Parts: sequence; structure tokens; C-alpha cells
Amino acid sequence: MQKHKVKLAHSLKRKALLQEINGLEKKAKVTNKASSSLEDDANGRKKKSVPNCVIKAKTVRNRIFIGDQIEDCKDLSGLYYLLAFQKGYLINWEIERQVWDYIFGKSYLDVDFDDTSIIITEPYFNFPSIQEAVSEILFEDYQFHSVFRCNSGFLTQSKYYNECKNSSELCCLVIDSGYSFTHVTPYYLDKKIKQGIKRINVGGKILTNHLKEIVSYRQLMVMDETYVMNQVKEDVCFVSLDFFKDMEIAKKHSTANTIVRDYVLPDYTHIKRGHIRDPEDAGTKPTGSEQIIRLNNERFSVPEVLFHPSDIGIQEMGLAETVVHSISCTPEEMHPHLYNNIVVTGGNGLLPGFKERLYNDVRAMAPCELDVRVTCSDNPVNYPWQGGVLMSEHSDFNKQLVTKAEYEEYGYNLCMERFDV
Amino acid sequence: MAEKRESIRIKDSQSRRVLDSAARRRRQRKALEALEADNFQDDPHADLRMSKKAPKFEETIDTGPQVGRKKKKRRSDIFKERFRKNFAALLEEEQMMTGDLPGYQTACVPPSHFPERHFCSVCGYPCKFHTFPSNYTCVQCGSRYCSVRCLGTHQDTRCLKWTA
Repeated sequence: MQKHKVKLAHSLKRKALLQEINGLEKKAKVTNKASSSLEDDANGRKKKSVPNCVIKAKTVRNRIFIGDQIEDCKDLSGLYYLLAFQKGYLINWEIERQVWDYIFGKSYLDVDFDDTSIIITEPYFNFPSIQEAVSEILFEDYQFHSVFRCNSGFLTQSKYYNECKNSSELCCLVIDSGYSFTHVTPYYLDKKIKQGIKRINVGGKILTNHLKEIVSYRQLMVMDETYVMNQVKEDVCFVSLDFFKDMEIAKKHSTANTIVRDYVLPDYTHIKRGHIRDPEDAGTKPTGSEQIIRLNNERFSVPEVLFHPSDIGIQEMGLAETVVHSISCTPEEMHPHLYNNIVVTGGNGLLPGFKERLYNDVRAMAPCELDVRVTCSDNPVNYPWQGGVLMSEHSDFNKQLVTKAEYEEYGYNLCMERFDV
Repeated sequence: MAEKRESIRIKDSQSRRVLDSAARRRRQRKALEALEADNFQDDPHADLRMSKKAPKFEETIDTGPQVGRKKKKRRSDIFKERFRKNFAALLEEEQMMTGDLPGYQTACVPPSHFPERHFCSVCGYPCKFHTFPSNYTCVQCGSRYCSVRCLGTHQDTRCLKWTA
């Protein structure tokens, strides 16, 4: 068995490494292209996403945690995040380098740079000097064999077209709702339509911070518990399908209120992870010393910010309105195709009800003669990554790359020509 | 002498000053900026003093796979001035280069066409379930509230408590 693996590894001409750079929620994703299972076996580690950040813990003062090293940390209260990204753009190279050094390094992936291609995704309209810096660092510092840079939507659309039963789809509208912001991007085949790219400055970070803020004001001071409150958000928040009706339910008392949940916060001595308290015990006094917060209208009014940013004073369109606005910026012939092929990616797509609500709202605003279809895979976070795997297996992959030799010959200009970022 | 004679009522009225619309907007912007922050607390390791005399044990210092000479050499190369730009500088640079073409600025969505919905700033419920269009606002700071009870909470805890 062991022998077989080694042989496989040798038979791979080059390994492709896929790295997604984006905010925190969008973790850096790393894999071995040609056979991710090989990689899993070899390292005894499942392929997984790594938080793209450096974390300092309050209780552990002699070290910092890079990426997924945070799993070694026992006390996750009061974590302090160092992020390389500001508003979704790579600003702090010092931090990003620590993360990359860790991921590519011996203790994690042990990348053989001379024999590895990397696919790296960037936000839309990434600033030119960041693009240049990414290319330069990957080629000159890490010395990768070859690099492919693109937007994550590019990988999403290739995965989406691949998945569609009838491969006659011409257009798709990619919604990428991540940590720092949400982008809506129309694609015609694999080309993005630049004037249609729209950004809402609401992402998972704002939702978590908003939840932190209202819980701190109404119940318990949790402002410095970003990590814990993010888990609370992931555990209890949902997107309401009928906002005002749910508000009325949330106002009711005792058993008539089907929305309220008690959440047991972790104390990291007895309770290692927070969880929803059994609804059976609701109303009874908590036993022992557990700390409980009660989430009622918070459960759906927080994700509601994505659909109505103006609720918290952000004067921007909501997601469904943005979809309509973005499509209206494209040639009219494309509209039916775009409405019919809406793809949701990004961590916020995991919120229960997200897809249904988006469908309802877009359906209400779209012209009635057009069909609306929204798809969201079970794992919207990894969806672009899967597209990257597909792409790297494609026979044309080598033509799209820029190799180190080419970079040395033609310089950064070739990257500008070949990569559509 | 003059200060002593000032009445309590005047002092009281000053503390209850009504914010003008500019100050209210400023406060709201501050609140939105706070939502963008990655951390609320200060760096917990900021007060760490690394003593040079303290012995450095290998396992206590978190060293990545490559430290030492190679990394140092690369560092100096990498952190060149041009990669050290903050967000504002990058934005300005982009605007100079792209002009009117689609870019970061143009990609941002415009304000919504739909009217704003109002919620009680204390309990978070929509004011009168939007059947009653005019809801109440705090005279001083302009925050919305739904009932006398919430107004009381607001005045005790929040009204003008975080300074603009």
C-alpha cells in the first residue's frame, strides 16, 4: 500500500496547490490537486480549511497560534485576531507570510515548490499593487513552478457549468457572501461582466459584530468574545422567510414563542463548546454555574442585515435588490439566463433559509415572465475550491498557468495579460 | 463666584443637550466603524516584556519551519516600501489608474430604493409592527424606541453615554 502511494506521487508531474485568499471565514484552502485523498492518507490528515489569521490567546502568553494551530488552544475565550486582510483586501503581508510559511512548510503540507502549481483566488477589483505583490512573492520568494490567479467566482462558474445537467448554460450569476463583503457577479461563459459586479459591504464579520453588540447591550458583556459569538451565530442564527411574522412570534410568551433559544456559553473548564440548551428545560433555572444567553429576535434579525443593510444604518441595497440591480447592468439578452442560474457561495450561504429567502425576494422583484432559480450546494464554502480541483484536472490547465520560467522571461506583464482578476 | 451660582437646572439642561443632525450622523458612522473592527479588546500580549536575559527554551518559542538566515534574508527583500500600503493609499492609487472604469468605488451598491425600516434600539422589535408609520425617537440623540419602558432603559444606559 505504501509503495503504491509513493509510485502515485512520482507519477504526478506536478502537484497543484489551491489557496484561497480572502477574509477569515473564507479560510485558506489547501490541497493537493491530482489526488486529494493521496494527500490525506500520506499526512494522516483530512483536507481541511485553515483559518487565514494569526491568533493570540489571553491565557497562553508564550506563543501565538497560526492558522489551524488554534485547535491546540484549550481556552478559546477572549481570542485576539491578527488579520492580514482589511475590508477584504490583503494589506498586511507580515501576517499573511506567517500563515503561508506555516501552510507550505514542513509541519503542514511540506510543499515541493519546484514541482507545484498554485491556484490562488483574489477578491474582485483587487488593487493592482496587491496583485503584483502576490505574483512576485509566489514566484520569487516561494519559487512555485507555476501560478494561476483568478477570482473565486471563476472557479465557481466552472464548477457550476460542470454540475449542470444540460451543459447548455451560457450565463450564471455568482453570489459570494464571505467574511468582509458580499459580491454579486454575472458571468457570461467564463468571462465576468465587469459593469455588473456589485459589492455589498456586509459580510460575516459585520453579522458577528452586530450580534456581539446587541447581546452585550441587552444581556451579557461579550464584546471581546468574537470566537464564541461567531459560534453562537453559526449555531442559532437563521434567515427569516417572513420577517414581520417571525417578529410577532418572538414577542409571544412561553410556549407560543417557538423562536426563543437558550444558549449555554462555554467556560472552557467543564463546557468545551457552547450549545443550545435543550428546549425542554427552557424556563427552568440553569443548574450549576453555566452561563446562559437567551436569543430571541436576535436569531433572525442579525442575518436580516444581509437583506436589509439599512436596518443598522448601512445605506446600501440588500442582497436581493443587488441581484436585480446587477442583472440590470448587463445586456438584456442575458437577463433570463442570469435569473435562472443564481449560484450562492461563501460562508453566509450556510445560514438556514438563506437560499429560500433569496429566491422569494428575487422572485418578488424580478420580471414575472422570467424564471428564477437559486442553487446553493451543501458546502458553499468549499464550492469554489472544488471548481479549482476540477480545473486543475482539466487538460487545458497548463495553458492557463504562468510558469516561473515565463515569469522570469516576460515579467509581471504576462500575468496581467493572462489572468483575469 | 460665578460658577457657584449656576443653578442645577442649567447644568441639567446642558447635559441633556440635543444633538444636531451632523453629530447624529457622526455617531452613527462611529457605530458602523465599530462593526468593522476585527477585535474589541486590546492586544493581550501588548504588555509582554521580552527579557533578553531570560533563557530561550526551544519549545516555548513558536518557531515556524523556517527561521534563521534564510527567512531573514527574504524578509528584508519582501517588506519593501511599495508593499506597505494602507487601504486608503491603495484606493487612491486605483482611482488614479482606472479613472471611470469599473473599480472598487463603482462596484459598491447604491442606497436601497425601499424605505428604511425602523426598530426599537433597545428591544429590537419593529416599532408598532410597521402599521404605525411614525414611531418615537429620543429627543436628545435620535435613537428609536417603542415604549416608555424602553425609553427609560435607553436614557439610563445608552443615551449620549458613548460620546461622539
